[in-house]
Formats: sequence, C-alpha cells, structure tokens
Amino acid sequence: MGRLNTPHLIEAAVWFAIVAIFFGYTFEFNQPIEIYKFGATGWPRVVVLLLLLATAGNLYYQYVHGSAVQPGRVGVAESDDSEADYSNRSMQIKMLAVLLTPFIFAWLLKPVGIYFGAPFFIAAVIWLFGERRWRSIWTTTLVIYFIFLIMFVVLLNAPLPQGNMSPFYDYSGWILKINTNIQNLW
Amino acid sequence: MLENFIAGSGALFGDPTTIAIFVFGVVGGMLFGAIPGVSMLTLAAILLPFTAELTAAQGVMLFAVIYCTGTYGGAITAILFNIPGAPENAPTAFDGYPMTQQGKSGKAVGAAVLCSAIGGVASALIMMAATEPLAKWAIRNIGPPEIFALVFFGLAVASSVGARTIWKGWMSVLLGLLIATIGQDPVGGINRYNFGYSDLAAGIAFVPAILGFFAVSEIFVQAEKKAGGKYTAPKVSMSFPTIVELWLHKVAVLRSILVGFFCGILPGIGATLAAFMGYGEAVRWSKNKEEFGKGKLEGVISSETANNAATGAAMIPLLALGLPGGALTAMMVAVFQMHDLEPGPLVFYNSPDLIWIVFAAMFYANLSILFIGLIETKTILNLLKIPFQFLAPLILLLATIGAYISRGLVLDVMVMFLAGIIGFLLRRTGFSIPGIVLGLILGKIGEQNFAQGMQMVHYDIGTYFSRPICALLIAAGSLTLIVGIYKAFAPASKTS
Repeated sequence: MGRLNTPHLIEAAVWFAIVAIFFGYTFEFNQPIEIYKFGATGWPRVVVLLLLLATAGNLYYQYVHGSAVQPGRVGVAESDDSEADYSNRSMQIKMLAVLLTPFIFAWLLKPVGIYFGAPFFIAAVIWLFGERRWRSIWTTTLVIYFIFLIMFVVLLNAPLPQGNMSPFYDYSGWILKINTNIQNLW
Repeated sequence: MLENFIAGSGALFGDPTTIAIFVFGVVGGMLFGAIPGVSMLTLAAILLPFTAELTAAQGVMLFAVIYCTGTYGGAITAILFNIPGAPENAPTAFDGYPMTQQGKSGKAVGAAVLCSAIGGVASALIMMAATEPLAKWAIRNIGPPEIFALVFFGLAVASSVGARTIWKGWMSVLLGLLIATIGQDPVGGINRYNFGYSDLAAGIAFVPAILGFFAVSEIFVQAEKKAGGKYTAPKVSMSFPTIVELWLHKVAVLRSILVGFFCGILPGIGATLAAFMGYGEAVRWSKNKEEFGKGKLEGVISSETANNAATGAAMIPLLALGLPGGALTAMMVAVFQMHDLEPGPLVFYNSPDLIWIVFAAMFYANLSILFIGLIETKTILNLLKIPFQFLAPLILLLATIGAYISRGLVLDVMVMFLAGIIGFLLRRTGFSIPGIVLGLILGKIGEQNFAQGMQMVHYDIGTYFSRPICALLIAAGSLTLIVGIYKAFAPASKTS
C-alpha cells in the first residue's frame, strides 16, 4: 500500500468513476460529423483518457509520497485535508448544514422567490456561521436585505425570481409594486 | 493618432451624458469588481438591455470602461478574501491572499492598483498606436492552430501552479475541460453529456461555475474554519508599497505588459490566460521560485499588470476582426449588434468616431484606476473589519443574484452551489480551482480551434507543426509539462 491511506483510495475511486461515467456516456452521442474526422466524441475521449493517465499518476505519487506537496510547486494553498477534525459529530452536522442550506435556498427559489426567501436565508447563514445573538442576526439580516433591495431592485431593476406559489408570489408582487411607485417618483 | 485621440477625448468630455456614463462605468466596474460575490460580468449582464437606449458609441464605451476598471476591481476581493472577482484575477490570489493573512493587504492592494493602471495605460497606448498593423499581423500569422497551441501552453502553465502536485494540476485542468464538453459540440452541434436535461444542451454557463468555484467554495472553507474554531480574522493594513519596492519590479511589469498584450491580441484568449501566463513567466524567471504562493509582491504585480495589459489588446481582435476575447467582450458584440453595427474591419472606416471615443475612454479609465483606486482602496480595506459571519450571507446572496441574472435560470444557481461544494472538496485535497476554471473557459475555444486547425491542414500533423508560432507554443507547453512530470518523479527516485 506504500503511503496510500483511505482518503487517497476514495479520491482515486471518485476520479476513476468520473472517467468511467464520462467515457461510457460518450457512446450516447457517438455520431459522425461529415466535415470533421474525429466526430463529437474525439475531444471528450482524449480529455477522459488524459484524465485517466493523470489520475493514475496521482495515485502513484500518493503511493510513494503520501499527501506531501511536490517540491517547487507554486501557489499551493496552505491548508490541507488534515486540518479539520471531522471525527466530531457536531462538526459533521454543522458542515452538512452549511453545505446544504444554500442548496435548499436555490431549490426554493422557483416556488418561493428571492424576495421572500432571502431574509430567511441570510439569517440562517449568519446563524450557521456561529452568531447566536438574535438581535445581531435580525439587524444584520435587515441591513443586507435593504442593501439588496436598493441595489438590485430600485437602482438596477434586475429581473429576479419572484416565485410561483401564493402567498410568496403575492409578496414579490407587493415589493415590485412599491418599487414601481418609487420609480414613478422621478 | 494624436489628432484622433484629442478628437475622441473631446467627444467623450464634450457631452455631459457621455461623461456621466463614463463615470458610471468607472465607478460601477470598480465597485462590482470589488464586491465579493458579484463581478463586472454581473453589472454588464444587468446593463446590457439598457444600452439599447444609448448611442452605439456610449454603449460600447460603457462596456469598455467596465472591462478596464472591473478587471482591476476583481483583484481587491482576490487579495482580501481569496475570492477573485473574475477569472483573470485568480492568479492574483495566489500571493495576494497570503499577503493579507500576513497583514500586508495594503501593500498587495496598492501594488494591484498601480500595476493595473500601468498595464492598462500601456496597453491602451499600444492599442491606439497599432490596432490596424497589429490586426493585420494577427490576420496573417494567427490562425486556429496558433490559438489552439496558445491554449495548450496556457493550460500547461495553469497546471503548474495552484495544485499540490503536477498530477493534481493536470487533473484540475482536465476536469475543467471535461465540464466544458457539456453542451453542444462546437463543430457539429451534437448534444453531449446532457444526462437527459434539456437545459444542459446550452452547456454550463461560465459565470455560475466561476462564482461557485471561487466565491462559494471560499465561504465553505471559512465556514469549516469557523466550525472547527480555527478561523482567524485577516489583519487590516493600510501601508502601501513604497516607490523603491515597486521600482525593483520594473522588469516583471514590463514582461507582464508584453505577455498580457500578446495574449489579449489573440482572438478568444483574453485577460484570463494573460494573468496566468504573466504569473507563470514571473515564476519561471525568478531566482526565488519557492517564495511564490507565499505572499510575494511580484506575484500580485505580474498577474495584475498582465490582465490589465490584455484589456486594451482584447479590443484589437474585437474591433478589427469582430472576435471577442472573453465573456465581457462577447457582450460588447451584442451592444454593437443592438445598434445595427458589426464589429470588424469596416468599423474603422464607417464609425471612426466610435472607435476613438472607446480608445480615449479606455485610456482615461485606466488612468482613473490610479486615482480613484487609491481612494477606494482605503474604504474597501475596511471590509476586512466586518466579521465574516455578517459578510458571508451578503456574498452568498450577491453570488445567487450574479449566477441567476445572466440567463434567468434557477438551474444556474444550483450549478453555482454544486460547483461551490465540489470546489470546497477539491481545495481541501490540494487541487487547483483556478486550473479548473481556466480549463472550463478555454475548453470550448481549444476544441473549436483544434478542429478548425485540423481541417485547415487536412489532418496532417507535419503541416500543423511547420507553422513557427504554433510549433514554438506547443514546444513551450510540452516543456512545461515534461519539466513538471520530471520533478514529480525526481524525488521518487531519490526516495527509492
């Protein structure tokens, strides 16, 4: 096993899986192009093949050197995978919440809209980042929400998702009606 | 040239509306570039429909000004938060962010201000003096094989920085290239990797992917540090670099101007590759290579000079050939089309007024980086004093808007957050996020030019390499690759 550890093997398995999936899927669009000899699959297959070689090279490097940084590398981040301690259950839950909250927000954008969803999202992120003073959370939420409305709704009239479910859609409509009234002032 | 420049300046400053648009572009570009989570592209995407109300000269000038000042503005967030405002600022973060962590943010930002201005002004001057001969040279000597060769060289450079090993560097770049294959193939228009989703037929949009990989993943990294109790607030410093410090880097500045201008002049390449190449060349010629990536001022200087030097040069293929060099210059083509104009050689004859207003505006925009930038910097540096738990939701909300606005698709927001999670996991394991982004940006360009090049030479590799610029760039890229691989194996032989 050399200096390989379980994370190295998981990493390699993920990359080999990417290679396998992307190579396998090329057969779904394996159509010739009359004016181009290599067709639609030529380029992706070369990229996949090179990725396979690089993954193998990476695995060999880890087999010999473990997680060590290759000497002479430039612009490498100081932090590495050993920095965070994920053996702690609370850490796992916190990070899962941090990673999933934006996804839930994005998923809710279509039905709920950004105008209604944004304040809850802002408050949730502040809380997840460790702020526990409720007054501070709500004050900051209102300030950010206000900045968002002034900048993107009033000043730039940016088209943003309004939601498609009542009462969220009605709330977005109300905000936009206020904006129209403000716009009519000048 | 001088007469035309004076005439352009007169037209620019002779009309109050044009002045107001110019000032809006300068301030807007800097602000949107410097606010983490949004970028000049967000502002440009929002403003695009409004340009129909402006004259053609005002519309194109506004975008050109945003391009210049936004390219600089993105350096601020790269340095202060490790969140490049645009891909062209990614190499700036390599040394800029470590400088912030060391309490030298003022020096890094000051150098970015000055070098962006120098690079931009130099580029604007060369552009004004030599657009037509350079365009003619480019038409004669640069074809798809050369562009593909430069893409290859650029990717080789990108693979050599930012990742823990050469293998991870290439895996990062190749992942970017693989993501770029999603959508229609550039030759036959055949749908690839849509996995049953019709929205994916248009491919993965750059802006959400870039925001996800850079901004969202950095938020997650900071969240991890907070959760683990290892977060340390960056130190604020207002001390700017001294004249002596900057003078010591004059060679790096000159080299980056040349590299940036060369990359910018090539159609489809743009400022992103210029920044990577500028940084890569700084490393290559440095006697203290090991200091790069750990807070070396030269790293910031090289990438910021190069990316701004590319802004003026990028106007050459755009205006002379009608070929955009990046996302923002592509939007400028749309501005032209809205006013029934086609960028290309005829623009110089049909609309010389427009051309010289744009040239003059770019020159003054780059100059204003120096003056407004220095004032703005003092304010922006105070962003570091805001506790990160209050800054994070603002960045995420702005990023959501930035991702949504370009195509109006919620899918893009999902893609951004997915890219954020992938970026977070890859950063923890030593992969290069700038490498992925560069692969993503250059993937389609590389494939398209490879295909066209192969068709041009009738699939004869010998003819391909008989073109001197092409052969030189392929050789340089291969050398970079071979040296990287050799270094990866060299310690192995010692160990064994």
